[in-house]
Amino acid sequence: MATQDVEPGSAQRLDKDTRETLVTVVRHAFLLSWSFVVLFPLYWLASMSLKPPGQANSLPPDWIFLPTVYNYIQLAQQSDFVGAFVNSLVMVGASVVLVLLIGVPAAYVLSRYDIPMERDVLVWILSSRMLPPIAVVLPFFIIFRELNLFDTRIGMVLMYISINLSLVVWVMKAFFDGIPETLEEAARVDGATQFQGFRKVILPAAKPGIFSVAIISFIFAWIELLFGLVLTSFEAVPVTLFVYSFIGSRSIEWSMLAAASTAMIIPVAIFLIAVNKYLAAGLSFGVVIKE
Amino acid sequence: MARITIDDVTKRFGDGDDSVVAVDDVSLDIKDGEFVVFVGPSGSGKSTLMRIVAGLETQSEGDIEIGDAVVNQLGPRARDIAMVFQNYALYPNMTVEENMSFGLKMSTDMSDEEIEETVTSAAEMMDIDKLLDNRPGELSGGQQQRVALGRAIVRDPNVFLMDEPLSNLDAKLRAEMRTEINRLQNDLGVTTLYVTHDQTEAMTMGDRLVVLNYGELQQVGTPLECFYRPANQFVAGFLGSPSMNFYEGEVEGGTLRADGFDFDLTERMQTSAGDRGALVLGARPEDISLHDEPVTDHEFEAVVDVVEPMGSISYVYLQAVNQSHDQTFIVEIDGQRPISEGSRVYVEIPDEDIHLFDAASGETIHQRKLDSEAEIALEDGMQTVSSSSD
Repeated sequence: MATQDVEPGSAQRLDKDTRETLVTVVRHAFLLSWSFVVLFPLYWLASMSLKPPGQANSLPPDWIFLPTVYNYIQLAQQSDFVGAFVNSLVMVGASVVLVLLIGVPAAYVLSRYDIPMERDVLVWILSSRMLPPIAVVLPFFIIFRELNLFDTRIGMVLMYISINLSLVVWVMKAFFDGIPETLEEAARVDGATQFQGFRKVILPAAKPGIFSVAIISFIFAWIELLFGLVLTSFEAVPVTLFVYSFIGSRSIEWSMLAAASTAMIIPVAIFLIAVNKYLAAGLSFGVVIKE
Repeated sequence: MARITIDDVTKRFGDGDDSVVAVDDVSLDIKDGEFVVFVGPSGSGKSTLMRIVAGLETQSEGDIEIGDAVVNQLGPRARDIAMVFQNYALYPNMTVEENMSFGLKMSTDMSDEEIEETVTSAAEMMDIDKLLDNRPGELSGGQQQRVALGRAIVRDPNVFLMDEPLSNLDAKLRAEMRTEINRLQNDLGVTTLYVTHDQTEAMTMGDRLVVLNYGELQQVGTPLECFYRPANQFVAGFLGSPSMNFYEGEVEGGTLRADGFDFDLTERMQTSAGDRGALVLGARPEDISLHDEPVTDHEFEAVVDVVEPMGSISYVYLQAVNQSHDQTFIVEIDGQRPISEGSRVYVEIPDEDIHLFDAASGETIHQRKLDSEAEIALEDGMQTVSSSSD
């Protein structure tokens, strides 16, 4: 230890406690400044939404102002916005439920059974994400028009599923791979059928992973703009498109844009808080399950 | 409780030319209440054989009977077995109590009160009644092991299957649990199959050992029988720690010419050897003596390579002075006896402690002598086992 060091010059060396304190201070300083980098845009957005119109984008910014919910009231009175918000909630919510219903069992089967050409199947599933969305948006448009899915909620749900399915399958496969197979075997020896073993033992053990992919899928679908722009016109317009509409060709309604954007964050925040306790474990992809 | 019959069971993994035979035509009778240990190195097929009995693998050929029924077509749930896994396989999302009651809920019609009562009494038996509300992640390895055992005994099954249950524990805990499992098995009297690669566990736990290698049955017998009367070179080398020393050599006129020394075969050995040209001589480290000066004319000179003091005993690794290869052999000596690396000693391999094996097949052709009392005890044990398993 440094304190027991008798070499010349050791007096200048810091003892262990001081070093540890210093490390803690530097670490906290770094984390605080990083938090600032992450949180400042959110603060800026929220504060903009609480400023009266005209003041939102003033330069220099008004750091001190009287908050008002005027923008939110305006927003709530626009039936289009409420409609699009609810539309998005329903479509995105349904797509998350469906993508889990399809993707989780698929991942389980890929993890547990010997599937011929398993690697190829997995890469094929991933290939749905290999093209940039802009490259497939026109084919999507034509297919949707032919199948009468254009501007329908069902069409949008299918589109969201296609965006998220590969993510769910890949992440959940990795997660199931981390859950020892002996758990199902123990359940079968205990008298459960294979399906009961999956439902009562494996699914609960995979809960952190499921919640993680659910929240990520939700966010991906919730913020989707490009496909919504091309594949909807009136009936199935998602909330992102509505927010986008505040950016006009001549002017931008900053305070309304900020209020709508802040409102968009709320469902994600609620979802995140609700499943928070599973996320830490889930985002480590099952490593905690292993003993 | 039930007897188990394994009848000509073969298990192949894969198809056609790529297939691997994991279990090769094994037949075995395990009587009601017996504690049988499957032992062998990795890849010997011991776990596969147990998994076939459990119904977790399906055999390629042959029949499994539990009780008096052929269970080939039955899944694990219908076989009335309980299994303890190497990694315990406790359900991570359930408390200890839920882990233990899961099997009863799945496989019986017991009411919740009955289940609770049964679980509590099993938990008391395993001394885990204070842990019932904890989740597996909150328990130490030893506690998890006890819960896994508790989960097995609470079901009161026909058969216990234990797949290397102690291998994740530290040495001290392993010794404790070994005794505990022995006691449990004695108290409950449930037919038990136990898989291990650890020959100490095998020797100390089972009524009978089933020694497997490359999926083939090598020997079935009591631990002492397998130790003192090994059926072949593999069993002789596998049981006992450190392993038996083997010296291969050619027979010339009643003398075995091994690498570095000659050994005069006794008449009894020569009769056993018949007209075989090549033999393997086997002698256990604890049976060989080291002398500072030659005492008999049977001895040969060797150089001490390494000494491993273990406390009450030491293991001495030696090479014969005249040998041409680098291989060493091991001799166990008293821990207090001074011996230094590089010194020369005279090695005596007593005639009566020697095993001889056919060099080609590995089959035992000559067994060592035992004290007359031990011989009688061993014969009695062998008869008891064979008559009861018939």
